[in-house]
Amino acid sequence: MGNFDLLMHGFSVAITPMHLMLMVAGVLMGLVVGVLPGLGAPNGVSLLIPLTFALDPTSAIILLSSMYWGALFGGSTTSILFNIPGEPSSVATTFDGYPMARNGESTRALTLAFVSSGIGALMGIMVITLLAGWASQFALRFGAPEYFAVYFLAFAAFIGMGSAAPMKTLVSLTAGLILASVGMDSVTGSIRLTYGFSDLLGGVSFLVVVIGLFGIGELLATVQEGLRFRGVSSKIDLRDVLKTLAELPKYWATMLRSGMIGIWMGITPGGPTAASFMSYGVARQASRKGAAFGTGRPEGIVAPETADHSAGTCAMLPMLALGVPSSATAAVMMGGLMIWGLTPGPMLFATQPDFVWGLIASMYVSNLLGVILVLATVPMFAALLRIPFTIIGPMIVAICFVGAYTVGSATFDLWVVLVFGIVGFMFTKLDYPLAPMILAMVLGHKAENAFHQSMLLSDGSLGIFFANPLVTGIMIVALALLILPKTLGLALSLRRNRKVVA
Amino acid sequence: MTVKRFQAEIGTAITTGALGVAAIVGAAELGTGWSDHGPQAGYFPFWVAIVLIGASLWNLGGAIAAHRKAQRTPPDPLDDPEEPFLPRDHLIRVAGFLGAMTAFVIGMLTVGFYVAATLYIGLTAWRQGGFRLWVGLAIGAGFAVSLYLIFETIFQIPLLKGPLEPLLGIY
Repeated sequence: MGNFDLLMHGFSVAITPMHLMLMVAGVLMGLVVGVLPGLGAPNGVSLLIPLTFALDPTSAIILLSSMYWGALFGGSTTSILFNIPGEPSSVATTFDGYPMARNGESTRALTLAFVSSGIGALMGIMVITLLAGWASQFALRFGAPEYFAVYFLAFAAFIGMGSAAPMKTLVSLTAGLILASVGMDSVTGSIRLTYGFSDLLGGVSFLVVVIGLFGIGELLATVQEGLRFRGVSSKIDLRDVLKTLAELPKYWATMLRSGMIGIWMGITPGGPTAASFMSYGVARQASRKGAAFGTGRPEGIVAPETADHSAGTCAMLPMLALGVPSSATAAVMMGGLMIWGLTPGPMLFATQPDFVWGLIASMYVSNLLGVILVLATVPMFAALLRIPFTIIGPMIVAICFVGAYTVGSATFDLWVVLVFGIVGFMFTKLDYPLAPMILAMVLGHKAENAFHQSMLLSDGSLGIFFANPLVTGIMIVALALLILPKTLGLALSLRRNRKVVA
Repeated sequence: MTVKRFQAEIGTAITTGALGVAAIVGAAELGTGWSDHGPQAGYFPFWVAIVLIGASLWNLGGAIAAHRKAQRTPPDPLDDPEEPFLPRDHLIRVAGFLGAMTAFVIGMLTVGFYVAATLYIGLTAWRQGGFRLWVGLAIGAGFAVSLYLIFETIFQIPLLKGPLEPLLGIY
């Protein structure tokens, strides 16, 4: 079957009353999560995973992915109306979105954001549709050394391409790997790093860590700033929506460029946040009215939103085809997949076509639903932020702790949330990235297993990672991603400095 | 008391380094070398921990160097390691929030989730939000009841309960 037939089959799986209902529910929950501080896409999905155990995996992934799209939409809403990014990836939207809304054009700003997000998502999904079959065929040729090389590539890309200091990324990454190795070692069967505490025997659950890092950590940051929302009117005027739709085709070049940036950053582990910033920067450089950016330029909204959503959707491709998630939320979803008993990777396409293509088809439908739903419900969700923080804050705290408890019904996890809340707060304040820690916790076991198996194959020689063209190629790309971006940046800045001195 | 940024940087670097040391101690008990069956159980954590310690030391050194430099030269206004990381009023706010949260966790373990949530939400709304006490407690109770309906009725996931619930006939 070709990709198109598979996609049509996917639509027949995705478009059932039950699944459509899950999509609506997922998008709406995602909007709540995206709008509220302290609840973002990664920990929203973490909170929901324990509730999906009763569903079959296809329905569960449709619910979770719809929530992700909803959270992406919700994050842009607060960026525009309150100048508070609900998600890290919508920070760039505040630059022009909030000024435009303050000029009395909030409907225009919101419509631009939502529709260009929708288009970005659509571009991303089309790329996934086209590449999915090929990527899984390619990945079928992978053995243990290739897999280790791909995991290494993911880690290297985070260090080399992330916006944080490489050494801080490295700390976050290795701390995650160490946390992943707590508990029973699946290769040798020995108990590791528990120091005699029986609570640690089962390991540290990454879902609980995500809830602490992203949920409590973000709340603490909000409390520190002494939260006061100063929002602009959130009424949606249908006439303004239609007028904005008519002006959208003007920005086709910005959309196309931003979509490409998003797709690239989504497939390689750059992630949506980096994609939206890069796209905003490129749009500003490309525009002749560059100076006016930051005062409410439409391109300044279209560019980051398109890139954000195309990166968010494209992050699903490496997660499904290789088992390497390129964003924190995709990492959490991949953890969910493993909890449901599915192994992400090329075999998933062969053994679970309903699941894979149902998900891909659902992405078309739920993003379309998302644009409509978000336009219809924005005033309602924006009202959530007008609830005093002294009420909504403790409620979010309570939800985070309940969510952590339901992961494994362990009281120990409550303390884990508290500790990682403080860690998340400190790390965010000091510019340590959080996503690498989550990625490492999800991939740690798989990376170690792949390394172990490779060593068995080669009798302990590291040469196996350069034994054939495929694995050598991946390793070279990984090393290049690790070393080149920062050294090039350093060399460029040295040259610039020398020019200034001379 | 004000926490400065370089102090926070140094504290964090020491903590992450300590995690690395703890991992090395744990890995050493398992053997960090090679056996006939490939790497021993402690091999992978050991080398990861070495990298973690190295990176932590790097960050520690960077923070100290930036601190020294800032003391000698006028600080860069955009990136000043001497700038307050947590000014006094922020510190008090964050500590208060954390304290209430810790009390909530202890409450969950002793009187159960529902009672603890009602008290936590109610008392925060009363003390910090300026709501009347009974309004706060009513909001908290409403929240607890809706979570009960969502978790125990719809999804059939039992949450932590204390001594009060059995008296009301809820198990």
